[in-house]
Amino acid sequence: MLDTALWISLTLVLAALALNVYRLTVGPDMPDRLLALDTMYVNSIALIVLLGLWLNTKTYFEAALLIAMLGFISTVAVCKYLLRGDIIE
Amino acid sequence: MTVFVLLEGVISLLLIAGGAFIFIGSLGMAHLRDFYMRLHGPTKATTLGIGCMLIASMLYFWVTEGKPDIQEMLITLFLFITAPVTAHLLAKTGLHQKLRHADKTRGKPLELRPEEVGEKPVPHPDRGHG
Amino acid sequence: MILPWIPLLALLGVVVPLLTRQRGRRFCSLATAAPAILALLLVFSQVPALLAGDLPRFQLAWVPQLGLDLAFRLDGLSLLFVSLILGIGLLILLYAHYYLEAHEPFARFYSFLMLFMLSMVGIVMADNLLLLWLFWELTSLSSFLLIGFWSHWTDARKGARMALTVTGAGGLALLAGLLLLGDMAGSFDLGVVLESREAILADPRYPLMLVLVLLGAFTKSAQFPFHFWLPHAMAAPTPVSAYLHSATMVKAGIFLMARLHPAIAGSEAWELIVTLTGMATLLYGAWFALLKTDLKAILAFSTVSHLGLITVLLGIGSPLAILAALFHILNHATFKAALFMSAGIIDHETGTRELGRLGGLRRAMPVTALLTSLTAAAMAGVPLFNGFLSKEMFFAEAAASPLLGGLSWLLPVLATLGGILSVAYSLRLVHAVFFKPARKAPPKSPHEPPRLMRAPVELLAALCVLVGLLPVIAEVPLGLAVEAVLLTPLEFHLAIWHGLNLPLLMSVIALIAGVLLYALHAHLRQFGRQFSPMDARLIFEGAVQRLMTWSERLTVRLENGSLQRYMSWLLGAALLLGAIGLLQLPSLAGARPTQEADGILLLGAALMIFGALGTVATHRYRLISLLMLSVVGLVVSLTFARFSAPDLALTQLSVEVVTMILLMLALFFLPQKTPRESSAGRNIRDLGLAASLGMVVASLNYAVLTRDNHGISDFFIANSVPGGGGHNVVNVILVDFRGFDTLGEITVLALAGLAIFKLLNRLRLFMPHSDGEGRVWSPDRYPLILTSVSQALLPLALLVSAFIFLRGHNLPGGGFIAGLITAVALILVYMARGVEWTQQRLDFQYQPVAIAGVAIATLTGLGSWLFGRPFLTSAFGHFHIPAIGDIELATAMLFDLGVYLAVVGATLMILANLGKLTTPHRPSKEEKH
Repeated sequence: MLDTALWISLTLVLAALALNVYRLTVGPDMPDRLLALDTMYVNSIALIVLLGLWLNTKTYFEAALLIAMLGFISTVAVCKYLLRGDIIE
Repeated sequence: MTVFVLLEGVISLLLIAGGAFIFIGSLGMAHLRDFYMRLHGPTKATTLGIGCMLIASMLYFWVTEGKPDIQEMLITLFLFITAPVTAHLLAKTGLHQKLRHADKTRGKPLELRPEEVGEKPVPHPDRGHG
Repeated sequence: MILPWIPLLALLGVVVPLLTRQRGRRFCSLATAAPAILALLLVFSQVPALLAGDLPRFQLAWVPQLGLDLAFRLDGLSLLFVSLILGIGLLILLYAHYYLEAHEPFARFYSFLMLFMLSMVGIVMADNLLLLWLFWELTSLSSFLLIGFWSHWTDARKGARMALTVTGAGGLALLAGLLLLGDMAGSFDLGVVLESREAILADPRYPLMLVLVLLGAFTKSAQFPFHFWLPHAMAAPTPVSAYLHSATMVKAGIFLMARLHPAIAGSEAWELIVTLTGMATLLYGAWFALLKTDLKAILAFSTVSHLGLITVLLGIGSPLAILAALFHILNHATFKAALFMSAGIIDHETGTRELGRLGGLRRAMPVTALLTSLTAAAMAGVPLFNGFLSKEMFFAEAAASPLLGGLSWLLPVLATLGGILSVAYSLRLVHAVFFKPARKAPPKSPHEPPRLMRAPVELLAALCVLVGLLPVIAEVPLGLAVEAVLLTPLEFHLAIWHGLNLPLLMSVIALIAGVLLYALHAHLRQFGRQFSPMDARLIFEGAVQRLMTWSERLTVRLENGSLQRYMSWLLGAALLLGAIGLLQLPSLAGARPTQEADGILLLGAALMIFGALGTVATHRYRLISLLMLSVVGLVVSLTFARFSAPDLALTQLSVEVVTMILLMLALFFLPQKTPRESSAGRNIRDLGLAASLGMVVASLNYAVLTRDNHGISDFFIANSVPGGGGHNVVNVILVDFRGFDTLGEITVLALAGLAIFKLLNRLRLFMPHSDGEGRVWSPDRYPLILTSVSQALLPLALLVSAFIFLRGHNLPGGGFIAGLITAVALILVYMARGVEWTQQRLDFQYQPVAIAGVAIATLTGLGSWLFGRPFLTSAFGHFHIPAIGDIELATAMLFDLGVYLAVVGATLMILANLGKLTTPHRPSKEEKH
């Protein structure tokens, strides 16, 4: 039962990633692309969590933690850039 | 034994729900018509989805290893704090750039007061002059 | 234990003048002379042992891995040369005391002179080929300093440079030759080398070695065609010319040939090369000595000529020829040093060295005239002077040599010709200066020099006469020296009269014809004038200039400031090397089966390829390109995670974000869109290069991954826990096994950070008022929500950073990643609250942080010395800390702390300072209105 759920979930997340890339490519504006990238970060976390369940290991959780943190910071940086140009002022 | 079956069911349900929410969030982002609508999908549905998944993972390792771990909690906490901030900043950017909007979207950027989108000068709080 | 003191005393002599400078010139001169005198006494104290048949040696291992020993010997040859070097050196010191003007920095001069003395003593006493070479190079350097002593004078600088270039290049050739020689003999120990003659002559590399060693010797001893530096080195003060360019340094090449004679001489190649080069030098130098009008130039060319004579004798190589060569070395050193000093006296007292402005000086300087005449007679080879004896031996050996077979009569004829020229230029020197009436008055009214300034000349002239009259006194030192060269004692007797024979006839012809030649001198000069004057310096400088121009042109071609060009060279080279390696593989795929691809992998690969292509396709829209690049980075780190490399995944992620922030900071100052400026040709070049490189790298990866690799990684995995006390092999490699590399890397990182900090220090850049589409920036500097949340997130982020740092030794993490996380977390605060606010609360500079990091890492490494272990040995023990788990507290962790601090310091130094650039006077909307 768990395996089936894992596979269903994995497929959905992969499909979501593909949709993210679609939006990232077509845009049309910078905020759209940025939103797509940020979602991609979050979906990657999901992917890593599923990977951990699948391989039955917790080795990758630091990576998930880091994606959560650093993805946020890079999104903030780009937003700040779009709003103010200068990200550290 | 039944407890484990029950737990497995719960974990599976959470996983599928998480996957579904994540997919729906991204689908919305890909499908909806303007930026303001698209913003809804990832910021709400996806966050909920990833939350489900992390809880599933936490439950799973709690069951298999016998003790709860703080790492998933930490990630969940992180995401739940940061997602609204990201959404807020993205919305702000979108409004600042006056992105096109579909007719159905309520509340147009033009209706905003000028100082909120940077039309009129606003005194800098630190300097106090114009 | 006496031997090492001789060079050590000379070394002391280098320091003494600098220390006693304040006490006046007289004291300083005496103090400088003292160690040299002491060293000379020590040398003489060894004579009885030498006479008894001993060979004093001293040996101390220096760099045994290279075969370099601090080894000295004092055999007869060394004794002869050391006495010459120290003895004439002392006389030169006395002379220089009077020669230098009052305002000139005499202490520095003495110090250089003693440095030179040290290196010469080192050459002649060295008992190890490599040590000999070291001292050999030291003579080149010290002579450079001495020739260029009057550095305000262009000629001196150019002459010094030329001498250094020629002798330095020769020194390099010599090094190659000596390395070959040592390899052939199986040791660099001189004793071993001298006894391995058979092995050396039989070696197929012998001709190459011979040419290289002779190149060294010929350049040093100014043999044709490398003689040209010597006349230009006459720009040196006269004591230097007298010491270096007549008595000692130019003899170093001769010494080398004599020293290695037992080991490498005797082959046909040796005889031909050495004899013919010597003969050419002999005639060339003598001819130009006759034509020059500058006193020192005449002496310089005559020195070239006499060096040629000695070389001929060494080339002939019979026992008596060796004896003649050594005898002439001795004689030449005495009379030529005296002549140089006389020339210096004349220059000093009249203010000129031009023959045209001199003349009739015998009235004003009778004693100098007498001394010069005596020593010039010795140089000409007049009977009853020392020069006559060795020159007659030279004639005898030239006549007896079987070299050149049917043409062997050429040697004595050419030798006589050299003798004729030598008589003519000696006569001219004396006559034109002292006896011919002056045509023009010299700049100063001439008079005799100070009594003691003349003393060295007097002593040397007396020696010339004494040896000429009583050659027996030279027999003992010569006997010892010849024995050292031939390795067997030689029975011989030096006498003035050998009866009526061929050499005597040659001498008589040389004398008579020489006088006649001088009488016809005016015609000769007419003859010489037809040839366009060939100034060696112009040719040399021209060659150097051409070389510089070529190098510049090449540099400009290669280094034109275009980053694309550098990259294309670099990538092209990598492509070539990689392709060559791949071509040699029997097949691309190895024995290992390939893994099956599942949907996740396929999608990941597709995403990565898509992201990479997107980055390239959108490169003119920089921000979009940057986002595409982030996709690549994200997928790469997911790939690392998927294939069990969590450390790499973490590093990739954190580096990714730091890069993104850095680019964002830089993008602010750049246009939003890149203009289309690459030509079609360049695009094709870049595309082709990138595509082929991609193919090579992909093939390489495929080849490596399908093979079983048992490289060094097995060792690391096996030794990580027992050797480094950590379960995370990557981290143990970084902080322990390859800790030295990491130390180097963080040092470079900190230096780069400091450099960027300094470069940005006062930089002011143009700041755009609006973004690429003309929208004015949003007035909301610090969005409220971001501000409050980021402040709340900071402790959380620091906690994560500490967590990753502490677990690093056993689980994924470590100082580098933790440092980047801390840096990024602080950058978030900078973004949310601005530089001013943050700087007020984080009241410290980042430079000390980075430096402290490097210092901690270095000290940790040094700490292991305290326990008698090699640099960076780590110690460890287990501790249990509740809530975090079992922790390895190793010294490696302290090292990791250094890494952490260095990374935090350097990253923030760069990012925060780049951000600060805009703070003080931002042309914001407020100011516009």
